[in-house]
Amino acid sequence: MDREDIHIISKHSNWTESGIDKALKDKIYSDSKSWKKFLQLLFISLGIGCTVSGIIFFFAYNWTDLHKFAKMGLIEGLIISSTSIVLFSTLNLNIKNIILTGASVLFGVLFAVFGQIYQTGANAYDFFLGWTMCISLWVVISNFPPLWLVYLILVNTSFVLYAQQVASNWSEIFVFSILFIFNTILLGSIHLLPRIKKACIVPTWFTSIIGLAAVTFSTIGIVIGIFDSHQSSFSVLLLLAIIAYATGIYYGIKAKIGYYLSIIPFSVIIIISTLLIKVSDGASMFFIVSLFIIISVTLLIKGLLDIQKKWNNER
Amino acid sequence: MIFKKSGTMKDKISITENIEYITKIEGDGFEFNEIELENEYSKVQNDESSIAIKILSILGGFFAAITFLGFLLIAGLYDSEEGLVVTGLIFVCAALLLNVVYKKLIIDTLSVSAYGLGLCLIAFGLSALQVGGNTISIIFVLISLLTIGITKNYILSFISILTINGSFIFLIIENELYSLIHIYNAILLVLVTYVFLKEAKLLADNRFPSQLYNPVRIGLLISLLLGLVFVGQRGIFNFDIKYIWSSSLITIPLTIYVISIITKIIGITKVKTLYLIYSLCILFLIPTALSPAISGSLLIILLCFLVNYKTGLAIGVFSFIYFISQYYYDLNYTLLTKSIILFVSGIVFLLFSVVTHQKLGYNEKI
Repeated sequence: MDREDIHIISKHSNWTESGIDKALKDKIYSDSKSWKKFLQLLFISLGIGCTVSGIIFFFAYNWTDLHKFAKMGLIEGLIISSTSIVLFSTLNLNIKNIILTGASVLFGVLFAVFGQIYQTGANAYDFFLGWTMCISLWVVISNFPPLWLVYLILVNTSFVLYAQQVASNWSEIFVFSILFIFNTILLGSIHLLPRIKKACIVPTWFTSIIGLAAVTFSTIGIVIGIFDSHQSSFSVLLLLAIIAYATGIYYGIKAKIGYYLSIIPFSVIIIISTLLIKVSDGASMFFIVSLFIIISVTLLIKGLLDIQKKWNNER
Repeated sequence: MIFKKSGTMKDKISITENIEYITKIEGDGFEFNEIELENEYSKVQNDESSIAIKILSILGGFFAAITFLGFLLIAGLYDSEEGLVVTGLIFVCAALLLNVVYKKLIIDTLSVSAYGLGLCLIAFGLSALQVGGNTISIIFVLISLLTIGITKNYILSFISILTINGSFIFLIIENELYSLIHIYNAILLVLVTYVFLKEAKLLADNRFPSQLYNPVRIGLLISLLLGLVFVGQRGIFNFDIKYIWSSSLITIPLTIYVISIITKIIGITKVKTLYLIYSLCILFLIPTALSPAISGSLLIILLCFLVNYKTGLAIGVFSFIYFISQYYYDLNYTLLTKSIILFVSGIVFLLFSVVTHQKLGYNEKI
């Protein structure tokens, strides 16, 4: 019984308030056990979050009286002690992982302080690259999805900063293409993972975020390419995007992941609309584009509903 | 999870099981309309909407409305003010009519864009006709109320709830009565808490259409967040709102009330422990009184977890993190003092987690 059942049955019956209340409390609402779990996670996350941001602020204050060795020693001490807790304590795995995530952020603070002392700048790409490298091992060992997410954000950021600071001759489309390829390959490997190693379960929200990132990068890259088609990597991006989209749709249908079947066509709709506006930006074209969006999105939703119905019947 | 994995296909067996379960609680007095129930279930199966589909409808409708506005702008169809208002009204009516006649999920994109476009055109036309912002807002509230009453469609009702509350915020800004935002917040806080805690009462009440419950809940939640943004310390908008703390007079008691419900669920009965919990909560909440948005978003988190509403929980967590960061960013202390405050509160939370770990005897692996 889920919430929808209760809503529907209550609509067509004389179910009393106390009865509905009991059903909601029994079947839907969080019980004592889940509250305990939730509070535990809430407090530990708030605790680690506040402590780490306190530490970040402390070093951002750039206390001149504190010798540079003391500053770095302090952070290193914190990193060592928090990783020791993870290594040697008997806390449950989730809490250890949250502590390790906090320690990974502290590594960033260490690099930032290093940059502060030796004037390397706070957004230098090598700072992010060093940070990424240093936590790689922890990320792999802990295999904790939120930490993986932090890690991937770092990898993407390092690359974007590298493109801006060092390889400034790279075209925008090339940068977006690389970001798209990286995230797509990653997503592909995550989906292939369970075939190699059975017990590996990746949470849906994680793959959804990576999928959204990949599709967003390709969409932006192609939209830029449409308006500025001199850039050579455009055709490569277009080709790769077509292959990736086709694979995504195929996989979405096969593995019954409706999410891919919604974001990929939506990206295509945006790209086609841009193309139409590129062809002509007269009044009639805007009219056509608005009609096109309504019709295509409506058809897309109809398709999604049909396929969902089919899946439900197969189940 | 974007598509619900389980429970989507309501086969006969599970419906019968549900009915049996209810009859067990309710006794022999329980009656239901079998034919209508079956109709509704078969309709739900054909139109099972996921969050992805709802977002697609809204985004699609939004983009279509914008390009259509672009068309009107370039084609210069802005010349006649009366024409704009009339076209707007036609669009709104068409959206409503479509919904009443078809009652199908797939026309959502069309009706959302027609509805949004209609509202925009009415607003443009009326303001070109020198009608004041106040009148336009009131007209919008009336149109939205009418929309909810007529269609009861999920997305249109959701948009209407946002439009109503948006109009109230607009009225407050337009008339420079910024302190009234506290009244707005107070009303929404009470409403949100009521809707969350009295789900059973609302569902049992035949005067309240149960299909409106979900859109009303999410609509009110987002409207409340809009109001809270104004009282998030100095916030994004520098409207010089007086007595920012006064919204806390509502948020803090409500939060404590919800905590009292939670202690009952967990089963804490020792008076001493209860006193300890309440005093710790008050100790945490009092310093946040200067930024009612913090306790407001905490209330949202607790309410959403209480009724197991995941979308709301995610919204609550993000807004909580945002409001806390905003609060510290705005504080008029040096970074050193801020860092000490944060560090100490972090340690206090860690202690909390140790205490709850021991007191609640929670030892399972998650």
